[in-house]
Amino acid sequence: MANKRKTFLLIWVLTAVGCLFVFLKYASPKIFQVLMAKDHPMPMPSTLMMWYMIMGVLAGLVYATTSNQKFADFLSFLLPGSGSLIKSFLQKMLFVGFPVLVGWFVYTWAIPGAASPVELRIQHPTLPQDFEKLENPLRQKDEETQRKSIEEGKILFQTYCRPCHGSKADGNGPFANSFRLRPINFQDPGTIATVVDNYLFWRIKEGAPGLPSEATPWDSAMPSWKDDLKDDEIWMIIMGEYDTAGVMPRQREKLE
Amino acid sequence: MNNVKKLLMVTKRSAFVLLFILSFVLPLTLSQKIFASEAPAQVAQEGPVSGVPLPQFEGGQMSGSSQSPEGQPVTGVGTETAIAAAAEEEEVAPVQYRTFFGIDSRLVLWIVSELHLMFAAFVLGVPIFAVIVEIVGFKGGDIKYDKMAKEFTKLLSAAFATTASLGGLLGFCLFGLYPEFMGHMTNVFAPTMYVYALMFFGEAFTLYGYYYSWEILQGTAAKKWFHISLGVMLNLFGTGLMFLTNSWATYMMSPAGIVPATGKVLSLYHAMYNPLWMPVNIHRLIANVCFGGFVVGAYAAVKFLGAKTEEEKAHYDWMGYVGNFIGVGALIPLPFAGYWLGREVYSSSPVMGNIMMGGAFSWTFIIQAILIGMLFIGVNYYLWLGMGRIKGSERYTKFIKYLIFVIFLCFAVWLTPHNLPLSGEERAMIGEQYHPFSKYFGVMAAKNAVVNLIILATFFSFLIYRRSNKGEMVPFSEQGRTGKIGIFSALIFCLLMLVSYAVSLNFVELEANIKVFVNPLIRALYIQAFVVCLAAFLTFKNKGKLAQTLLFAVTACIAVLYFWYYAFQVMQKANLVLRYLSVTQVSIVMSCLIMNAIIDVFMFRKAKLVGGIVWGKMPVRSQYALLLLCIVIVILMGLMGFIRSGLRMDWHIYGVLQDTSPWAYTPTLSYMGRVVGLIVVLFLGLVAFVFWLANLGEKKEKAKPKEYKYEGAEEDYENTH
Repeated sequence: MANKRKTFLLIWVLTAVGCLFVFLKYASPKIFQVLMAKDHPMPMPSTLMMWYMIMGVLAGLVYATTSNQKFADFLSFLLPGSGSLIKSFLQKMLFVGFPVLVGWFVYTWAIPGAASPVELRIQHPTLPQDFEKLENPLRQKDEETQRKSIEEGKILFQTYCRPCHGSKADGNGPFANSFRLRPINFQDPGTIATVVDNYLFWRIKEGAPGLPSEATPWDSAMPSWKDDLKDDEIWMIIMGEYDTAGVMPRQREKLE
Repeated sequence: MNNVKKLLMVTKRSAFVLLFILSFVLPLTLSQKIFASEAPAQVAQEGPVSGVPLPQFEGGQMSGSSQSPEGQPVTGVGTETAIAAAAEEEEVAPVQYRTFFGIDSRLVLWIVSELHLMFAAFVLGVPIFAVIVEIVGFKGGDIKYDKMAKEFTKLLSAAFATTASLGGLLGFCLFGLYPEFMGHMTNVFAPTMYVYALMFFGEAFTLYGYYYSWEILQGTAAKKWFHISLGVMLNLFGTGLMFLTNSWATYMMSPAGIVPATGKVLSLYHAMYNPLWMPVNIHRLIANVCFGGFVVGAYAAVKFLGAKTEEEKAHYDWMGYVGNFIGVGALIPLPFAGYWLGREVYSSSPVMGNIMMGGAFSWTFIIQAILIGMLFIGVNYYLWLGMGRIKGSERYTKFIKYLIFVIFLCFAVWLTPHNLPLSGEERAMIGEQYHPFSKYFGVMAAKNAVVNLIILATFFSFLIYRRSNKGEMVPFSEQGRTGKIGIFSALIFCLLMLVSYAVSLNFVELEANIKVFVNPLIRALYIQAFVVCLAAFLTFKNKGKLAQTLLFAVTACIAVLYFWYYAFQVMQKANLVLRYLSVTQVSIVMSCLIMNAIIDVFMFRKAKLVGGIVWGKMPVRSQYALLLLCIVIVILMGLMGFIRSGLRMDWHIYGVLQDTSPWAYTPTLSYMGRVVGLIVVLFLGLVAFVFWLANLGEKKEKAKPKEYKYEGAEEDYENTH
């Protein structure tokens, strides 16, 4: 009985890979919709889908070849021989289903259609040397001055930044929906909390037009504020922005 | 036909082909040289090219008659003189860059330096491997370890000459193609360059002494220890050489000890001991051992696949196992060392850190993640396949499917990027910057957690492998004093590591609002210290398996699950604490590994053997796994070399000496991939050639009967562990 069960190893592996596909494609968007309290599903990006599926198939193959016995069982399903009715049925399904599956993949890849290209985005373009050594002068001031700067910065943030980045710096400003790439959610720990103050200074001052060539393709609607805001005001906005988002800037570390 | 004849024939053919090519290339090259050398020759006729104002002569006149009485230079003598003066000016200007026969200088330097580094890694990693194996063989009285160590030292001698040749070529390329940059480096590091040369002599002498005295220094323990100390000396010289060159390379990334504006040297010590020196030293040292182990594994795999007899197969199977064992042993601490290096890069320059992990080089780290994942899967796969040659392993194979699930799940998180390649439609549908997978899996908090889980899973694979041949555990009371001392020693070591770090965390200098984030780390360390004590207690009460389960469970809960969550908190509020968090994570995982390993040793120390290990009974795919490991680590080394060097962007010496050559741009991923691929192929080809050369004289010896047998599988197994 045990041997009989083992001869279905190939089917078990295929089932596991199929379950992974269903989970990623259909279940995970709904799960994330619920978990993240969204009003729409969060579909799995095609790149991740491909990577995870490759790993799923690889994991199945690794499992099926961890011993000679398993490998023989795995392959035996493809070989003709006496077996149960179920095995015979599944074999036929497999021999018909596999070419159909490949055909479907070829068809979906080859069918003419319009889609925007997949872009390889760089999160933090290289900060120009001119900005690297800058220090936020307000961080050096006494506590009272810093507190005042934060308050003034918050007002400036609400005046200039809120329309896009939102009153809570969560990327949900009134204009946010009008952008193809939404403004950044600063509350996310992977955004402004990972960079130093002067990085923000550069981004606010120079905006999208000041991005270096290696940062392209970069869709950013960030305007350049150098003609409208003084440096002091930008530093204050930075103070207010971090406080509004509830995160801290990356701090320079002492070398050990 | 013997191999010498084959070699001669190949050499003749190669020489003929070379001559044929040269007959075409030389006239072209020479004609270019002749034309190119005309201008300097003319200048040489017209006057000296040095910057010192010496007397000038008019063309066609005798020098004596034209010279002014005062010996002053002649001025205002027409257009020809002006042209000559202009040519002189041009010649006098210092040369910044040259090309390598019209080829991109950076490409040439990239290939040569990477090949040199790879050979150097082999030449430095394998002696460590060889000496360890020799000591194991000597202490265990097993001749086959000694033979293997010698076999690899023989390969080493051949590889050493290639390393030195490539090093020479690299030096010439550097001085020839980048003279201004090398001028700066020489200005700062000249004294260390002499030390380097002297140490190179030391390494050469000890290496050849170590190899050629192998047979002479056999027989007595004193002789053997002397031989081993030669090997240790060889390693010391090798490590010293690496440390010296590392100081030059890391100075380029984080220069110190000079006045940046003028390049004036203030302190050679600080230039050497720059912020990234020690992290790179440690990372490279461990990586070299890992590299050596996997290259040895691949060598054994090739030999295994070509083996004609069962005895040969058994020998090379065993060799592959030992190579893999040392490779994986070094692979486990490697991510920790790499993380430390990464943190120090951030510390020395936050901008360079951002370029590395979030900027232009972030995608190379995804490739790195894939390669590291492949290494861990490869070593586990090899261990699982290895269980097939051990009678009694059937009891543990049921765990493999869970391990595969855990390792692949971790791998998936490990390679998920923070920024996904997305189409416009996908962006619109997701509706925000990050998909939840990339948001929670794409940052270091998640990656540190899963890499620790991969390490724990790999260690678990190793535990079930070594248990496969053992029967039921022996009561701890039967282990005698050795058992008690062993467990106590491990306990004290782990407690010292955990408690001392917990205590030191109380004294870190941080602002009060940030320091509160350190408290959970201190608590975690104390909890782990308590669990380690509890595990020791349970072991004394003959409940070793429960102790191990407890250790694994608590470690996974703290170092993986809790710190995954907590690192997110720290990222937002107190990035300075991340440094302490990662060390805490490492300490907790290391304490689990050490304590678990020692408990396992003493639980099964006198256990009955279920069956033997049948060396050589390995499926062919296991050997391909060994080959894959070697290829992957070579690619990884090539990739990381590119990243380390490329992080400087358009600077030779970051922030001090700018790269103004036409090749100062950061290469695209595609270009990088092609060059690294070429380097990998060249290196593997050269290594195969060097190994073949080294084995030319050994063919006949194989016909001789072996001095050892493999029937005593139990002994082999014991010694291997």
